Amino acid sequence: MAQPPLSQRIQRLERRLGVRLFERTSRQVALTEPGALLLAEAREVLARSEAFMATARRVRDGETGLLRAALPPDLSGETVAALLAGFSGAGASGLELELHELSTAQQLERFAAHELDVGLIHHPCDVSGLELGPVLRRELGVLLPRGAAAAGLDEVPLSSLTGHDLILFPRAGAPAVYDDLLTTCARNGYTPPAVRHALGSSFVRGLVLSTEAVAFGPRDTHGHAKEGTEAAAGVDTEKGVVWRPLTGAPLALRHSVAWPAGRGDAAVSAFAEAATHALRTTAGAAPDLPARPLHLRPASEYWL
Amino acid sequence: MTDALTRIHAAFADAGVTGRLHAVDIDSGAQLDAGADQPVCTASVHKLCLLVTLHEQAAAGFLDLTEQVECPPEGRTAGPTGLAAMLDGARLSLRDLAYLMMSVSDNAAADLLLARVGLDAVNRTTARLGLTGTHAVHTFGELLATIKEDAGPGGARSLADPHVVARLRALDPARTNHSTPRDMTRLLAAVWRDEACTPEHGAAIRRVLGLQVWPHRLASGFPFDDVHVAGKTGSLPTVRNEVGVVEYPDGGRYAVAVFTRTARTSALQPAADAVIGTAARLAVDALRAPQAGPRGAWPDR
Repeated sequence: MAQPPLSQRIQRLERRLGVRLFERTSRQVALTEPGALLLAEAREVLARSEAFMATARRVRDGETGLLRAALPPDLSGETVAALLAGFSGAGASGLELELHELSTAQQLERFAAHELDVGLIHHPCDVSGLELGPVLRRELGVLLPRGAAAAGLDEVPLSSLTGHDLILFPRAGAPAVYDDLLTTCARNGYTPPAVRHALGSSFVRGLVLSTEAVAFGPRDTHGHAKEGTEAAAGVDTEKGVVWRPLTGAPLALRHSVAWPAGRGDAAVSAFAEAATHALRTTAGAAPDLPARPLHLRPASEYWL
Repeated sequence: MTDALTRIHAAFADAGVTGRLHAVDIDSGAQLDAGADQPVCTASVHKLCLLVTLHEQAAAGFLDLTEQVECPPEGRTAGPTGLAAMLDGARLSLRDLAYLMMSVSDNAAADLLLARVGLDAVNRTTARLGLTGTHAVHTFGELLATIKEDAGPGGARSLADPHVVARLRALDPARTNHSTPRDMTRLLAAVWRDEACTPEHGAAIRRVLGLQVWPHRLASGFPFDDVHVAGKTGSLPTVRNEVGVVEYPDGGRYAVAVFTRTARTSALQPAADAVIGTAARLAVDALRAPQAGPRGAWPDR
């Protein structure tokens, strides 16, 4: 920008605000104190206005546009199908859904890069800058070899898994979830002699079969047999691996729909409702448990 | 330096936090930047800005630090330490209130001091020191009130619900007291170089920063009897921060600011507390390594 128009615009702005923003001498221009105070706010206003324009674009394109959505890899095919059916039935006509299979960490990255409009994430994760739908809980049961003593129980107390190694996803995938699972196991009397890492469900089953180890998984992705065809409690999966619920349901996966704060529009809401409904009806997801008693300690620094 | 940055990011990920860090050698200006210009919620770290303001006003003769303040039990800002947790009336000098504010993060003492100097004065001080990304929009009592309001009828317990955490204004830098890691190391460096205040007041500020009682964050990274650590923490649901200065016996002194957001919503976050020390140590070790970074890099001095 040429100098005269720039300084004219600054002067106009100073007149309008009634604040002197710059100190001018013949040789240099420096920000005044009031100018410095306003600078931080101005940056925020600019950032917000960018977000505002992006939302406007999506609103404008909403009827005929594209919704970029993501689901985690641990959903059953049935849940995904129910979600898609629910979404297209929600009257989002003309809206194209671009669906990706992404981990929570990948979704958070894409939200930050403005490459994703809505997704289903796991908790706990850093939710700064996001808005969330209600948190739902999918209880975890245990996969164990048919020959294991605990396989004879309808409901398996965690403490009865003592002596079995545990197969768990690699910690780097979600350190907080990993640590919480192991801590809860220990609090309930099960400290595995060793933790082995595996992700793929076939590999997990193979390890369960061959090493007498156990793994955790939600009922909907580990029982091909559904309630009604099998005893309500446990599920016999293929070839000698059985799924049993855990006594007291101490372990769970927790999900919610998430989208960047301030970017929720009709399409995002339709996806959020469809995902929540699909999880409830096909994956047995229930509302998150009421919070446990809380004893804030002095180092918390905050107090309500 | 790149290696140190990689290790710092890995330490943050391993602890289940999103972390921002800035570390600077107070004398050479060599620095380490891991998101140093990201806006962050300061929480109680802003008490450091208030402390500097208080001493600036004392230096200017606007107030006397030995001035006695009545601290009635009614209307005190809530908190788990210091006057905020005490039951009866007290009378303390301004500088002893400052000691409580910094050593145990006493919210009541902080708001009594804020009532004396005013929020505007705090913002004038940070602006004067060139901290353009730093601004206070409310008192500590007002900050806690937004959390109470946003948490709703469930109270403190509902802060474990991510759905509730996501809507807290207190966790959005655009709507609460905020700064950047670089602004905070700049403030600390100014205090340690006696550029923020007169040497006499600088010494008083450094003294109370060294009297902070918490061992679990920045200090945990430096388990050495001959290393001095002075700092101020800040905490809110999912927010764990500390900024401070680490001084080695060979004269090396480093300002470090670490701001984290945790994945977990639980009130207790030992891994996040500890990684503040771990990351700070990685940064200081890198700055102390021979040939670390560009020397004399203070760009705007």
